[in-house]
Parts: sequence; C-alpha cells; structure tokens
Amino acid sequence: MDYTMQIQDTAARLFSEEKIDLFIGYRSTGFDNNQVPVLIHHYQDVEQLVFTDKSVFNLTNYLKYEYTRNKRVGLVVKGCDSRSLNLMLTENQVKRENLFIIGIACEGVMNEQGEKAQNCVECVMPDAVIYDELLGAPTGQREYQVNADINELAEQPLIERGTHFEEIFENCIRCNACRHSCPLCYCNKCCIDQETSTLYQGSNTTSGAFHALMTWSLHLAGRCVDCRNCEKACPSHLPLHLLHKQNEQVIYENFQEHLAGMIKDDRGAFYKYSMSDPDDFIM
Amino acid sequence: MNLTTYITEPAGLQSFYEAIVATNETYAPVEKLGKFDYKQIKTPPECQPDSPIEQTMSIKPLFFPKSARVMKYEATAEGTDVTDTTEDPLAGKRVILGVKHCDARGLQVLDEVYKWDYIDTDYQKRRENTIIISARCEQAATHCFCTSLDYDVEQSDAMDVAVINGLDGKVYIQARTEKGEHFLKENASGLAATNGSALEEMKKQYQAFSGSFRLKMDYKEINGKMQSRFESPAFEEVATNCVSCNTCAFVCPTCHCFKITDERIRDEGVRYKSYDSCNNIYFTLMAGGHNPRPAKYRRWRQRAMHKFVYYKERFGVNLCVGCGKCTISCPVNISIFEVVNQVSNV
Repeated sequence: MDYTMQIQDTAARLFSEEKIDLFIGYRSTGFDNNQVPVLIHHYQDVEQLVFTDKSVFNLTNYLKYEYTRNKRVGLVVKGCDSRSLNLMLTENQVKRENLFIIGIACEGVMNEQGEKAQNCVECVMPDAVIYDELLGAPTGQREYQVNADINELAEQPLIERGTHFEEIFENCIRCNACRHSCPLCYCNKCCIDQETSTLYQGSNTTSGAFHALMTWSLHLAGRCVDCRNCEKACPSHLPLHLLHKQNEQVIYENFQEHLAGMIKDDRGAFYKYSMSDPDDFIM
Repeated sequence: MNLTTYITEPAGLQSFYEAIVATNETYAPVEKLGKFDYKQIKTPPECQPDSPIEQTMSIKPLFFPKSARVMKYEATAEGTDVTDTTEDPLAGKRVILGVKHCDARGLQVLDEVYKWDYIDTDYQKRRENTIIISARCEQAATHCFCTSLDYDVEQSDAMDVAVINGLDGKVYIQARTEKGEHFLKENASGLAATNGSALEEMKKQYQAFSGSFRLKMDYKEINGKMQSRFESPAFEEVATNCVSCNTCAFVCPTCHCFKITDERIRDEGVRYKSYDSCNNIYFTLMAGGHNPRPAKYRRWRQRAMHKFVYYKERFGVNLCVGCGKCTISCPVNISIFEVVNQVSNV
C-alpha cells in the first residue's frame, strides 16, 4: 500500500488549480519509520507528502480546529477516517463543499511492532465511504466481529474486571491527549474540564481519571469509529479501545446492527428513534 | 570531601540492589502496559533499573505528584473548619533506583524554582530524604540530546550515586555527592573501592556514550537567538499540527505548572493541586473571559521560550534537560529540539 505519488500529484493539481487552501496529509518523521500529520499551505511543499502502511493518524482530527473550519481543505482518509468524517458532516462540523477528499481503499496499517494493527484486522469497512477520488481497489464491507480483548475480558468475573480497569486507570495522567486526538471530540469546552464543577473531579486521582474516561467513552458511544487515535496518543499506553469496543458491541447487538458513520446523514444510534428499538433494558 | 568509586561485576551490582531493597524504602521503574513507571518495590526482580529511556516516565511524580491534597475543609454552624492534610506518603527516607541522568538533572533544575520566592517545604523534604541512584545510560535513544545542554553529563552531581557500565565489562559505582558517599559507606560494604584506573574506564565509557547521539546543538547559540524570536512567524509553522493536549508538559521532568481544584460533597471538601500545562487552551483563560493565548502558536511560543529563554534569564539554567520524553509521547511527535532549532534558524 503505497500511494505517495498519486497523493502528491493530486495535491499538486489541487494547489495549481487553486481549489484548496490547505492540504492535510502525512510526512515521514525523518528519524524513524513512523509518519506524522502535516498541514501544507503551498504548492512547493507537496513533495513532503507520503502514504504507506505507516500512515496511521486519523487526519479528520484537524478539521475540528478553528483555522481549518472556513478553509478549503484537501485531505487523505482511510476507511475508518472516512466514517468519522461522515459523522462530522452529519453533525455539521464541516462543510462538504469545502473538502476535497482522497479516499483510500485501505489494506490496514502497521502498529509500532510492525504487525497489522488490531483494529485493521477486525476492520468492518476498509474502503473510504466518502471521497472525491478513490485510490486502491475496494474490497467491500466485512462481517462485524467482536473485539478479541472484549471477548477475553467478558470471561472474567465482574469484580476482577473492575480491578483490571482500576489498575489501568491508575496510570492515567489526565493529559487529555485521547480527547484532543479524537476527531469526534470537537466541543469547545469539554464538560470534564469544568474545573469549578462539583460534578466532575478536576484532580488527577485514579477516581478522577475513571470518571473522566467513562464520561468520555459514553459521549462517543455509537459514534466511535475505532480509528484508535486516542490509544496511539496515550503516553501511558492505556488500552482505551476496551471502553469503546464494549460500547460498540452493545450498540451493534441492541440497535439494529448499527455501526457509526457508515452512511452519510446517518445519525448516531443515540440520536435517532425507531419504533423497532428494543425496550427490554429500559426500566 | 573525597568521593569513592567502587568496582564490581554485573552480579555484584544485582546484590547491591538487593541489599538496598531489603533495608530501604525503594522506588524503581516497573513495567506496566509497555511503559515503565517509578513504583515502590519489595523485591528487585520486579523492577528494571535499566529500562529503555524513552519508555520510562519521569521521576517528577515522586517529588511533585500528579495530584496532591492541599487541605480539607468543612462548613459547620460556626464557620468553616480548615485542616492541613499532613500525611505525605512521599516524605519518608527513600531510595530511587534506575534514575536516568536527564531525570536527575531535571530535579536540579526544579530546585531553582522551588527555593525561589515561595519555599515549597513538601518538595524540600522529599528532596532531602531521597537518595538518587542513576541508571546505566549506555546509548542515546532517538530523541535524546542531554549532552547538548548546559550541564556536564559526565560529572553530573544531580544523582547521589552513579552506576556506570565500563567498556571492560565491570560495573563502577561512584558517589557523586556527600549524601551518596555516606549512603555507599553503609550499603556497599561488600564492594571493593578503586582508584585512578576506574576514572579512565569511565571516561572511555562516556566517550562511547556521547558519540551515540543523533541530535546535537549549541545551546548557547539557541539561547541567544531565541531571545529575539518572540515575534517569529516560525512558531506558527511549527505549531500547526499540535493537537493542544497536555502530554508534553505532564511527562516532562521539569514542567511544574499546576492548577488548584476543589472537590466538594455537601459541606465537606478537599482541595487538590494537580498538573496543568501551558499548551492547554484554558491555561490562561481569565475570569472575565479574556484569553491572551487563544492561538496554538502563542502557547507553543510560551512553552519554547520558557524552556530556553525565560528560565535561563531568571535562574541561569535551561528548563529543558534533553530527555526526549515529550517528543516520543506527543501524539504527533512534535520535537522541542526541532522547534527551537527551526525557530532560531529562520
């Protein structure tokens, strides 16, 4: 999976035709095999762009900032990224006419150990679902499978699971990198940051972290697209996907096999009402 | 005062560690979720004193915890009762094993601000009661640049005891401060003291170590140039892909900003002092709603200038120790090294 040349060509064309003000892509870090996001404003910088199986970061994260909001933006999206973009469009966070989207029919990205990432192995939609130009050969939607770690965790008794999560949250430093790396966490003021609130703990204690992360994961329930930007951003390597994948499974099973952002204008599971929604878990 | 160097085999070092753990409250890097964090240990095998530098959190939380109770209060019919929270779990006599050179230096840098103006007695007590034993840094990691900064890494007295791997396969344990000398007298009784030849070996080891650095810069040049770069447009460029999280500051061994929050249930409450970061948009938000640093580049400018200009002007040392933790932890790998070099050279 190497679309470096195609992306450079397209970006160069868009700049020369003055169709975009800004292009968001990936560049090599220069010191290791990894790639980092790069925001390009000029035609001459286009040659920095690369795209391989190390292009991990979900670039739609940059669409939530003030300085990209009213600009014409070109960007690269993989399958999962395009789903989050779909949600941002539905939730009126970006304007479709301002975007030029290069979609990728993704073959999966590598993690730091050089293996195919877990979310790519379990990916339900590797092809970009929204694009102006598609690179690669689409392979279509795959069957939903329950996350391997969730399956493992489900076998543990409730008490053990509780301790497991407590041990995890103990390492949280509450830097909020997870939230800031999430394209769907676009609120200008997050409820968790209300320092004078008596509802949320502002301290970096384990219970504070527990509370903050649980709230965060519930705000993403039915919206998370499993791009794992949060997990990759976490300096303490917390397995944050456990929270989201659990929510995803519950929603998939209870809300007519709902998967976030698959179709344009599809509202999240919690935003729409259907007569056929099950009510057996509502008291 | 004469400082002694002891010589031993790698196996001897292991029993040296074991003896320390048996008789002292000891902290050392312990692995969890692929990251190493300094935790209290009971037996040496749990810990890895020579943990990989970039995967190890800093020792800052042992002196400046990520969240500390400041006081408790309670509203009563007569008024408000305020009690100091006196219990401090970090104030006892303790030893920290496997401290990286940059981390140890970070404490020296922090000392400047903690003894200036307001004297933070909690911090002073924790510092006084701690013996710092360094890790064996043999090779620079990708983002290390400690040798390019304003301290002598080779002769550093930031740690009380330095542990050095000689190129000859021996391990050298050297006291670097008076505190360390006393500590070794009590705890290194089984080890042989050595003389001049050891210093030769350690010099060779240091040369091999300093030759392994990918990043090199002249800090004096950077300090000088940065002073005139406040209005530099380069800040805007370097900050474009920053996501404005707080990671760099929270993992940094020298960042020391904090916020005060109250947690109250009915009439009782606790006041906490927790980490805060200048990269956070709320950091400078004022009660009236004005924010002097609303744009990312202004916050990044503050971070870079504080590290390489303001702190240097006030205290004579850089607020960066070249550990590279911020770069490796950053979601988009923004390197403070690249930032200051880029800004200085525009």
